[in-house]
Amino acid sequence: MITFNLPDLGEGLPEAEIVSWHVKEGDTVKTDEPLLSVETAKAVVEVPSPYSGVIARLHAQAGDIVATGAALVDFAESGGTSTAQKKSAPVPEADEPEKADSATVVGNVPTGGGLLQENAIAGGGRRRKGGRVKATPSVRTEARRLGIDLADVPATGKNGQVTSADLARFQGTLTKARPARSSPTPGRSESLRGPRRAMAQSMTQHRNEVALCTIFDDADIHEWIAKRDFTARILRATAAGCAKAPALNGFFNAQSMSHQLESRVDIALAVDTDDGLIVPVIRHVEEMNLDQIRDEVARMKKATLDRSVAPQDMVNYTITVSNFGVLAGRYATPLMVPPTVAILGTGKLQHDVVAVMGGIEVHRRIPLSLSFDHRCITGGEACRFLAAVIDDLEKPQ
Amino acid sequence: MAEMTLIDAVTTALAWELEHDPRVVILGEDVGVNGGVFRATAGLQARFGADRVQDTPLAEGMIAGVAIGMAAQGMIPVPEIQFMGFIYPTVDQIINHAGRLRNRTRGRMSCPMVLRAPYGGGIHAPEHHSESTEALFAHMPGVRVVIPSSPARAYGLLLAAIRDPDPVIFLEPKRIYRLNKQNVEDNGKALPLDVCYTLRQGADVTVVTWGAMTFETLKAADQLAKSNISCEVIDLATISPIDYETILESVEKTGRLVIAHEAARTGGVGAEVAAIVAEKGLYDLKAPIRRVTGYDVVMPLFRREMDYMPSVAKIVDAVRESLHD
Repeated sequence: MITFNLPDLGEGLPEAEIVSWHVKEGDTVKTDEPLLSVETAKAVVEVPSPYSGVIARLHAQAGDIVATGAALVDFAESGGTSTAQKKSAPVPEADEPEKADSATVVGNVPTGGGLLQENAIAGGGRRRKGGRVKATPSVRTEARRLGIDLADVPATGKNGQVTSADLARFQGTLTKARPARSSPTPGRSESLRGPRRAMAQSMTQHRNEVALCTIFDDADIHEWIAKRDFTARILRATAAGCAKAPALNGFFNAQSMSHQLESRVDIALAVDTDDGLIVPVIRHVEEMNLDQIRDEVARMKKATLDRSVAPQDMVNYTITVSNFGVLAGRYATPLMVPPTVAILGTGKLQHDVVAVMGGIEVHRRIPLSLSFDHRCITGGEACRFLAAVIDDLEKPQ
Repeated sequence: MAEMTLIDAVTTALAWELEHDPRVVILGEDVGVNGGVFRATAGLQARFGADRVQDTPLAEGMIAGVAIGMAAQGMIPVPEIQFMGFIYPTVDQIINHAGRLRNRTRGRMSCPMVLRAPYGGGIHAPEHHSESTEALFAHMPGVRVVIPSSPARAYGLLLAAIRDPDPVIFLEPKRIYRLNKQNVEDNGKALPLDVCYTLRQGADVTVVTWGAMTFETLKAADQLAKSNISCEVIDLATISPIDYETILESVEKTGRLVIAHEAARTGGVGAEVAAIVAEKGLYDLKAPIRRVTGYDVVMPLFRREMDYMPSVAKIVDAVRESLHD
């Protein structure tokens, strides 16, 4: 039989009131399990069991005021002794050496974390020397979006920082400065840069996120009056498709599962260059007539080919058009860049044999491939879009 | 070389200074016969006498005022305040006298005192015993604020604080008072004040912390290392003035900064660290600065106190978010 006396719960308080018992006579308890709650002058404190064993007798009831050192609990049998309680059970001064005393007025200071090993270095912050790229967060974001490694960009800013102007200048000279980079040397691994790196990143993102579905059809342009007005007509037809099925013109945020439609039709026009695909944006196509679209396309194509497109002219588009089939290829499954949700591809123009009014004729037709993100766009919406595109394309002018 | 806990290291450093400098005097509530509420001064009165280790009435404003008077007259008082929750009556004395004695006398006097107090949560004490209000003192001119996070730094920084000719608020993270032991040589060797201590070098993210939170931060760094994320862990150690050069150098290397502290968020010392890096290190940042802190509420009662404090998981999350920006 072991008797556990009320320990000094701190600062030599003479007594404590028992708030509640967590055990009753006959219970088996383990070391450190809560025995009872007592209220001292400062706090309600849980008293853990200093022993493992069976409770033989409780010497006091809830509500009793017990003097420090008075008998509290009898244990019928005992296992190990709690190291945390050694200090105060049964009477601190009598039984325990002073060094084990971690007493405090309140609370329980944790122990037993083991031996600390550390190799702290004091200060040393006088060695700043630069050498790494300095840029504002906005420039870093833009560079990441363009797939440009800032370390490659000549810096002209204060304290050697890369400015947004540096980035735009670098972007503009990318092809001229490094034509050899556009295709890797055979037999040697080269890390991708510029538009090709951007392509690798956006296509990986596409593959990881998008539920792609593609519809194929053809637009018969036999009735066209201006035979060579190709790009402007495609853009206008795309805007017509957006008017009919607005779901395809906008963004899908996979994290928030939200689909955002746009009233503006800002079309990214994929242009093939030696350096990879460059995608300038034609803004507000829905507000332009055919002449205006034609002028804008001409201006943007020229800027693209001499690489003077400003970075802001290549971002924030709502839908994409890709004229992939200049040389070969009638149909494809073009991939949009998230968060946009649709891309219209046009294949190689060809003279097709078509059935007309029960007879056979040869007409020029544009092969169309419409890819959409099936997470937020239904097949019906995509078909309505494509039908509107075809309808607009088949107008004489 | 002896294995000692953080509180052993405090006691050992106090004993060293009492032994080697006759001007050093300890005073406070129950620091003498009782040995202090956490036993930081255990045995010192018996060894050095009641003139050197003095019990005082329960009047914190008086304790600070008497200490300032002693310091002005050539002694080196080391007053103890039992809990940070009781420190507020001393604020008038510290801000109006200790912090400006040197300036007010145009350099003729200084105030070589070290006001010690345990601070922080995690020991199941009532809420007003558990808060971390180091930022209050960091805001006061003329006062140095020092927080050790290991037995070795408790020993070395306390010696340095006592030897410094100006007032130091020495805040001891009581949650880790007895958590770990460390081999510390009782050789009277001080550690430098006003510098950060880099506890771990790393390349991906800088994590600045101090006090007991260094333990959660180092655990978080261990966990992140398993995913090949390398954290540089910096213990601020001197909360005021801040050694911002070490932090800026680290951010220059990593480009990312997470700050972890137990204190409430608004106006915390973390905000000052973030401001310094925004002012002087913006061009190195690759991601927004993140803070992992306590909440802007009264410390919860003890069953919920660990919910209040930054956990390993919260620090890990902040580092990961920083890397994904």
